[in-house]
Amino acid sequence: MIKRIADRLFKWYCHPNYYPDIKGDLEELYADHEEEGSRYAQLKYLLDVVLLFRLSLLRPIFKNSMINDLDMFKNYFKISFRNLAKHKGYTVINIIGVAVGLAAFLLINQYIKFERSYDSFHRSAENIYRVTSDQIVDGQLGVRDAMSFNPSGKVLTDEVPEISEYALSYNIGRATIKKGESLVNEESVKMADEHFIAFFGHKVVAGDVGSMLKEPYSIVLTQSKARFYFGDNEAVGKSLHLFSGFDRDFKVTGVIEDVPLNTHYKFDILISISTVQDRLDDEAWGGFNYYTYVRIDKGTDIEALEEKLIPIKDKYMAEGSSLYFNLQPVQEIHLNSDMTFEPEVTGSKKSVNFLELISIFILVIAWVNYINLSTAKAVDRAKEVGLRKVIGAGKKQLRIQFLVEALLINMMGALVAFGIVVIVSPSFNNLVEMKIIDQIWKDAYFYAMLAGFALLGTLISGFYPAIFLSNFKIISVLKGKFRNSKGGVSLRKGLVVFQFATSIALIGSTLIVMKQVDYMRNMDMGMNIDQVVTFSNPTPQRGERDQMRDRVKTFIETLKQDASVLGAATSTSIPGGESNEIASTSGGVRIIGLTDRLDATTYIHTVDENYFELLDIELLNGRNFNKDMASDSSAVIVNQAFLDRFNLSDPSVLNEHIQFGQDPENDKYHIIGVLQNVNRTTLKKSAEPTCYFFDPVLHRSLVKLSPRNIDKSLELIENTWAEMFPTSTLEYSFINERFDRLYKEDRRFGSVFSIFSGFALLVAILGLFGLISFIASQRTKEVGVRKVLGATETHIVALFYREFLILICIASLIGIPIVFFGMNAWLDNYAHRIGFPWLVVVASLLIVIVCSLVTVSSRVLKVAAMNPANTLKYE
Amino acid sequence: MKKYQLGEFEEIVLLTVGVLFNEAYGVAIKEEIEKRLKRKVSVGALQSALRRMEKKGYLDSRQGESNQKRGGKPKRFFTITAYGKEALKYSQDVRTQLWNAIPEVALDLKFG
Repeated sequence: MIKRIADRLFKWYCHPNYYPDIKGDLEELYADHEEEGSRYAQLKYLLDVVLLFRLSLLRPIFKNSMINDLDMFKNYFKISFRNLAKHKGYTVINIIGVAVGLAAFLLINQYIKFERSYDSFHRSAENIYRVTSDQIVDGQLGVRDAMSFNPSGKVLTDEVPEISEYALSYNIGRATIKKGESLVNEESVKMADEHFIAFFGHKVVAGDVGSMLKEPYSIVLTQSKARFYFGDNEAVGKSLHLFSGFDRDFKVTGVIEDVPLNTHYKFDILISISTVQDRLDDEAWGGFNYYTYVRIDKGTDIEALEEKLIPIKDKYMAEGSSLYFNLQPVQEIHLNSDMTFEPEVTGSKKSVNFLELISIFILVIAWVNYINLSTAKAVDRAKEVGLRKVIGAGKKQLRIQFLVEALLINMMGALVAFGIVVIVSPSFNNLVEMKIIDQIWKDAYFYAMLAGFALLGTLISGFYPAIFLSNFKIISVLKGKFRNSKGGVSLRKGLVVFQFATSIALIGSTLIVMKQVDYMRNMDMGMNIDQVVTFSNPTPQRGERDQMRDRVKTFIETLKQDASVLGAATSTSIPGGESNEIASTSGGVRIIGLTDRLDATTYIHTVDENYFELLDIELLNGRNFNKDMASDSSAVIVNQAFLDRFNLSDPSVLNEHIQFGQDPENDKYHIIGVLQNVNRTTLKKSAEPTCYFFDPVLHRSLVKLSPRNIDKSLELIENTWAEMFPTSTLEYSFINERFDRLYKEDRRFGSVFSIFSGFALLVAILGLFGLISFIASQRTKEVGVRKVLGATETHIVALFYREFLILICIASLIGIPIVFFGMNAWLDNYAHRIGFPWLVVVASLLIVIVCSLVTVSSRVLKVAAMNPANTLKYE
Repeated sequence: MKKYQLGEFEEIVLLTVGVLFNEAYGVAIKEEIEKRLKRKVSVGALQSALRRMEKKGYLDSRQGESNQKRGGKPKRFFTITAYGKEALKYSQDVRTQLWNAIPEVALDLKFG
């Protein structure tokens, strides 16, 4: 057996002239070796064959001489060029189709690649996990929180052998820093421990990796921030003055390279977390407000490891706590996390997969165009093929000829696609609101994709036409009997149906996405947020809390005196915030005497007495807070969602008491009112079960302006602020802008989606245009005959319309179910979703019908108008 | 510029073909080299050397008889051409010259 295989191999590669005598030698040796065992002899034979694989003994690669082949090869290109040049319109349609399809595909792919590359650049990123907190009650998974307790990382590293190191961080968010005489508002400031930089492997430009975040009041800047504050001077060793609760100098101890955009944990400035060491010690296992990352040994079974963490949780956390440690791979955070308190809005795996699907569809549509057009053109080429065959061309040569044509189209398409990508990449970056494509001409991956898909396109789109065209029968073709075969026609119709179906599906889905986003933005949120401007009040320095409260009070009073200010309030959080912009408790809650303790997250929102009125939030029952009643400091107003969770049969809860946690001391809060549900955050989520507490002055302000003269009112706020709080910056935003920002991901998805659906339709229409041109030109005679027999122009146009309408109907039978099932699944992601909008589907169908009929008309009207005398003259 | 290109292995093969005179075919040459030089020769190395030297003109070949043991395939016998002989002679001369050029002392020296 081995010998037979070896022999085959040898015969295949050996030069035929040498084969007989070398084979003889091998046989002889084999016979000699056989005495020592058949297997040994066979292996020896195989070894000899392998060693015989030498250049000087190889069969020549080309049967004919090289020169001849090259000539033929050149000829393929020459003829292809002539052919393409002869049918310029057809060539241009094909190239544009391929180019647009390829460009769209590559752009989307860059985006997808970016989205999937999140957090992959860290040092051994696949072993990094984030410690998060799962609330599990009676085996039911409740709220999943992205944060953990501040000692978690250290304890886990000490107690679990598989966990080798950890890093601890806290998200400050904004901070005000003094630069010269002016104040700068930094958007992305985080606290981190001394392990943090080495843990993630951030590249250090200056300073010592291990110690730069060790000492309290140390600050580490990214390169661009260092340049911003210190120019070209050495930053390390200098100091920066930080307000926002510190009001003191921080020593710059290090500079690191800018953090890439593709991480869920972005920052410009790091402060040593030891700065707030006393707070860390105070909180310990009392509050989980920290992002903790651990590195776990390769090959560890994570589920088994999480089991092992349960005894550790029992050891450290409060007894009976419903919180469990959870380990989340860092690379999955961006696309695969639905936790609360994420440091930034995460992406959606579904959307990314969806986009990938679209990109493939666009590419396939472009390829289908080529197949359609080149087979439709077969009649033109039939004579050529026949003649070539008569002269002696084989099928293989004809196929190569047609493949070369496909290659040329695809390569030119790729070239144009490259141009398109380079030109539109800035607008694409704008569209997705992130600089994803940067210097694409340096990106080897991009070139590989471009070349790879151009070649793949050549094979896929060129293969069928090549086979089809090379199979013509010489005699029938040369006799002029050739007409498009039935099979060819129905294939082309099938492909057109595919294109229409895809277009309908894409347009329908796009419209639904836009409608949903629109719905969320315009939905009645249970409050009136028009012309409400919000900002954070200055953070008081240590020990100056009361003074600051008084000054904020005065500030608000001053503003209220102006006629353009309709009202003002303070609150702990502002509507339109992300999930981490509100406090919460997971300690369990009950209404004394009415319900059992419920282990679930309750959101805590503290407001002053003006808040509800300012936002027109309706009280369903009871009364608002009153600042003159001392007892209101222990009063609470709950919202409908909070009550709904208890399934209360008797909705009258006024004057009942709420107890948080199990501490009997904690039962003093009496309910004074019930509020209607208000959507504080995105409508993806349902209303949060919330308890409202009272405090007359809080650290965020809301000011309602009169719709007239908004600019002047803003100026007033700015001036008053500058007068009263010279060491703080004012960063205001309108609440509706904040809500818009929450829907950024959805809007982005919607706009990317709509643009590429547009591309898909464009490519499909382009193909249809090419196709109808050929069909029309082929059927001029038929039209002539029909006209002679009495058909009017209207009849003839209707004839063509009917054919395409039938195709569109079939396409909609395929496309509409896809939209229905796909988009229903997508809409289910939202707590507040629109019903399936059938009208939108009809609209998308109409768009496709109108576009294609216009395209068809552009050619058919001309053909229908022709004088039959001209078209039939030559018969 | 070298006048005759002859590698070490090629030289051995060429000489062996001479030794075997009219009986030099693949297996015989292989066995002769293995016997005399006590070194393993693969069919591949031998055959490529033979074909190379045939192309260069050092060797000539003729087809011989076939037998059952060879699976019915003919033997190919090789003989040295005049040109091949010249190449061998040249190679021997070069060596002799070099030998003569070495001073006696250099060979007597003992390194210890």
